[in-house]
Amino acid sequence: MPEISETLETPDFIENPVAGIDQSRGDFTYDVDYEFDAGTGLTEQTVRYISSVKKEADWLLEFRLNALKKFQSMPLPTHWATKDLENINFDKIRYYLAQGQKPKRTWDEVPDDIKETFERLGIPEQERKFLAGVEAQFDSEAAYSNIKDIVSKQGVIFANSTEALREHPEIFRKFFGKVIPTGDNKFAALNSAVFSGGSFIYVPPGVKVAQPLQAYFRINAENFGQFERTLIICDEGSEVTYMEGCTAPKFSTSTLHSAVVELVALKGAKIQYITVQNWANNVFNLVTKRGVAHEEAEIKWIDCNIGSRLTMKYPGVVLKGRKARGEVISIALANDGQHQDTGAKMIHAADETTSNVISKSISVGQGRSTYRGLVHIPKHLKGCKNNTECDALLINTNSRTDTYPAITVRGDKNATQHEASVSKVSEDLIFYMQQRGLTEAQAMSLSVNGFINDLASQFPMEYSVELKRLIDLEMEGSVG
Amino acid sequence: MSALPNITLSTGLNSERFAMHLSQRAALPDWWLETKKTAWNQFNALPMPTRNDERWRFSNLKGLDLDGYVLPEEPAVHVPHLPDFEHAAEMTFSNRQVVDRSTLPAELAAKGVIFAPLTEALRDHGDLVRRYFQKYPANLGSEKFVALNTAFTATGAVLFVPKGVEIEKPIVVQHTLAGDHKSAFPHTLVILEDNAKATLVEYFVSASAQEAHLVSGVNDLHAGPGSQLTYVGVQNWSEKTLAFQTNSIAVERDARVLSVNLHLGGQQVRHESHSRMLAPGAHSDMCSLTVAHGKQEFDQRTLQTHAAPHTSSNLLYKNALINQAHTIFSGLIVVDPDAQKTDAYQSNRNLLLSEEASADSLPGLEIQANDVKCTHGATSATIDPEQLYYLKSRGIPAHQSYELLVFGFFESVLDKLIDQNLHDALGNFIQDKFKKL
Amino acid sequence: MSKLEIKDLHIAIGEKKIVRGFSLTLNSGEIHAVMGPNGTGKSTLAKAIAGHPDYSITDGDVLLDGQSILAMEPDERARAGIFLAFQYPSEIPGVSIANFLRAAVQARMGEGEELDATGYYKRLYSKMDSLKIDRKFTSRSVNEGFSGGEKKRCEILQMAMLEPKFALMDETDSGLDIDALRIVSEGVNAMRGENFGALMITHYQRLLDYIVPDYVHVMYDGRIVKSGDKSLALELEAKGYDWVKNELASA
Repeated sequence: MPEISETLETPDFIENPVAGIDQSRGDFTYDVDYEFDAGTGLTEQTVRYISSVKKEADWLLEFRLNALKKFQSMPLPTHWATKDLENINFDKIRYYLAQGQKPKRTWDEVPDDIKETFERLGIPEQERKFLAGVEAQFDSEAAYSNIKDIVSKQGVIFANSTEALREHPEIFRKFFGKVIPTGDNKFAALNSAVFSGGSFIYVPPGVKVAQPLQAYFRINAENFGQFERTLIICDEGSEVTYMEGCTAPKFSTSTLHSAVVELVALKGAKIQYITVQNWANNVFNLVTKRGVAHEEAEIKWIDCNIGSRLTMKYPGVVLKGRKARGEVISIALANDGQHQDTGAKMIHAADETTSNVISKSISVGQGRSTYRGLVHIPKHLKGCKNNTECDALLINTNSRTDTYPAITVRGDKNATQHEASVSKVSEDLIFYMQQRGLTEAQAMSLSVNGFINDLASQFPMEYSVELKRLIDLEMEGSVG
Repeated sequence: MSALPNITLSTGLNSERFAMHLSQRAALPDWWLETKKTAWNQFNALPMPTRNDERWRFSNLKGLDLDGYVLPEEPAVHVPHLPDFEHAAEMTFSNRQVVDRSTLPAELAAKGVIFAPLTEALRDHGDLVRRYFQKYPANLGSEKFVALNTAFTATGAVLFVPKGVEIEKPIVVQHTLAGDHKSAFPHTLVILEDNAKATLVEYFVSASAQEAHLVSGVNDLHAGPGSQLTYVGVQNWSEKTLAFQTNSIAVERDARVLSVNLHLGGQQVRHESHSRMLAPGAHSDMCSLTVAHGKQEFDQRTLQTHAAPHTSSNLLYKNALINQAHTIFSGLIVVDPDAQKTDAYQSNRNLLLSEEASADSLPGLEIQANDVKCTHGATSATIDPEQLYYLKSRGIPAHQSYELLVFGFFESVLDKLIDQNLHDALGNFIQDKFKKL
Repeated sequence: MSKLEIKDLHIAIGEKKIVRGFSLTLNSGEIHAVMGPNGTGKSTLAKAIAGHPDYSITDGDVLLDGQSILAMEPDERARAGIFLAFQYPSEIPGVSIANFLRAAVQARMGEGEELDATGYYKRLYSKMDSLKIDRKFTSRSVNEGFSGGEKKRCEILQMAMLEPKFALMDETDSGLDIDALRIVSEGVNAMRGENFGALMITHYQRLLDYIVPDYVHVMYDGRIVKSGDKSLALELEAKGYDWVKNELASA
């Protein structure tokens, strides 16, 4: 498997949303009401501090400390991943910020292009301030409590990680850290040591949650935090859809976001997890996402990656039970100075399991897009099927795209299908459309939307409309 | 396999026989005899393929035994019946002689169309044949066997269609071989000038299923600027036949070629096909359908070469395998640095109908231009048990179910034949094979 | 009544000079044919007039109704009434013919004007029917997987829907068999009238049997070297392009 060996250099012109704000000295507007400060850098003390503030049980503290050790002993995976990872300065990062400590800036300090994006995407006034980091809290507590009431009547538990592990350990402890063990990779270990925020959801047998549950409801500073931990357990025959993120660009002072998402779909259950990621261009977004699908269960990851400086994300499904089904639908857009390194992992561990991966990536300007896939079907299994399709669209000749599929199929009772294509939106195509009377911008928009169309329609309506608008924005001025 | 040059075969196809073959043709043009001599020397100089030859990877090299075959001396008495449909003209070869031939319709002859057996064409249109014969030689690994063909070829059709002439109905050629351990070396030459249009259908059949045959056949297809050529080849040699088939397709500016090859017979068959897109607007559609059963081995090697901008090619090879059959597919698309805006597609689909069947698939792309669209895909799948059960539950017996599913699998290729008669004729051939299983 | 004037046009690709002093006036209602050997600049001429970025106009002018179009963007020229039927039309994956044409038709409408969907589809289907394009093609991506003939018919469909003042047809007949040629020609002939003018670029004479031109020009070495009527085309086909070369040499 070929390795990427060059460093992605940080272009000078990348807008730094926190320009002028010295992160290491914490030169922000703080409330004076708090007492504790975890400081920068990651030590055992930081971990203990986090655990004590959350009033966690001993076993959980042990878990965190263990993870810390693993994190410190594991090297960066730069032998196969981009060397840009070496630019993460672990010592300068704040690993925990309590309520009210979240840095704020004034509306004037928010860069113009971010303001313009809000305008173009039609983001409501109130939300803009929150997203731009001007306010620490968004007043939708009402919306959240509403949803919480409705689903709790069905026996659904919908809480943040701290609350869930404290109030319902008997439900969550069983699967917590089992789908993604601490030592899975360096960043999973990091998350396991310092996680905070995120959603823990349990759906009882047979319950089909009608409304998609959104991270957006869980609005407080921590949920847009750096080290979210999500665990969703769907008991037999139940169904749920969970959505996180939004199309609007998210401001962050922190340069490292490392989330972990674990999904468990028991017999006959269905989980659909939708993510729209649009972190600001200074963020390293390194996420570990995996689900385990039991007999006749189904897990579907729908992923859209537009922002961040570097995203490394390979949603995976372990097809543990007979006739389980896993699917990854992914759209990635890499613009100047961005690297979207995404893919999927499908591990077949039972007969008659099927997996489907459809990945579409768009590379613009100096953007770089990488697809890494892993499909594993061992010899003793029968009747398994995989379909992988990865298509890349290049918007000008400087773009780069790499595809590294690794398909291991043994035994003649299994079938795989892999197709890959690379196409260009070339000057000629734009000229063809212009000759029909469309402006350059209209031409670009039509062809890019045409490329992602059938995938974009898999997103819930409100997202897919915003998505198209956002992509149009990103495309402006990208040819020539 | 020995790598010594100067291999002569112990009986049949040896230097004595070659000398006799030449002397029988003394009346033909000198250049032709020289070409044959050169080819014979080349055949002896080239080694048999070895394990190290990448172009023969996965092949059963032991099966490439040329010993013991002779040229047939008498025309076959029995000529197998073949599906009949409306056609513009036909020609039948049996054991290296013309046994049947229809006259070309007067209006086509008046326009300058030539449809003649090789020997006659060499006599009456020698310059034309010389200009196009092996103009684009084979280079996918079978050079030795192509040389053998050039050396011994005596029969084959030459079709020439002049500028602007369109022949709506297909032209049909049949090659039959009869007699145990006989060999045949048919050579087909098709030349279409600017804006011409024609369809050629060729059948290759053994008179008896019990006879062992050796065949090395070659096609030279030339599509001139703006022309449209459809070529259909149906191979149904006996199941004890060792066959080599080499197709060369040259496509000029704005020309379109569709070739469909159906493979049913043979013990071990090596089929090579090379399409060259020579000028802007050229397009080649390469299709192949194979039903492999028993211990048959079908070795398919292809090459799509794009030498000019705005060219396209589309390859679709479908193999259905039963019992312990084996197929090999190795396809390469090569795009030259100046061939911008190339659109090339290659797909090999294998349907495995039994546990012991095996299909090797090596798709490949070599792209030097930077503004191209190329995709390749390979799949291997087994029959969906659900589908099979569904058919059985309607009272359809297993072997017929297989047949139905295989037809479904083959449909996308058969659909490319606009002529419904041709479509049906091929369908009948496939059905016949299933009946015999 | 409109006029397209091409005045002493010089076109280059990078350093290479291709068209050297081409002049022609095209009036509404006229069909002109330009014939010439491959490589003489016929395609370059059409693409440059339409505004293709690869070509630079080093001298001369192109005026549409007295106004120079050389400073206009390709889409502006299109909306002004110039249509180019491409020799090798692009594929637009994921964008259906219906949507593409709708966007193109809409682009020509004024601010705030809305396209009448029913009327649009009615027109589209009737034109598709006469060009023998299956109505199902409306949902197919533009030119994707189309044969050469289908692509050319799709170009004519677009032309019929967009109703340009002047059409530049770049080797619309190449790669077509007689049946397809007939259909495409009928499509173009149906547009003939006092508000439509066309410049047909072709390598072969046979197209002119179906779309009979008012004028035939022979292009050689980047400029027009001979003009006449349809009989000139027949003479050219019979004698070949070498005849022109020799005539020029001896002149």
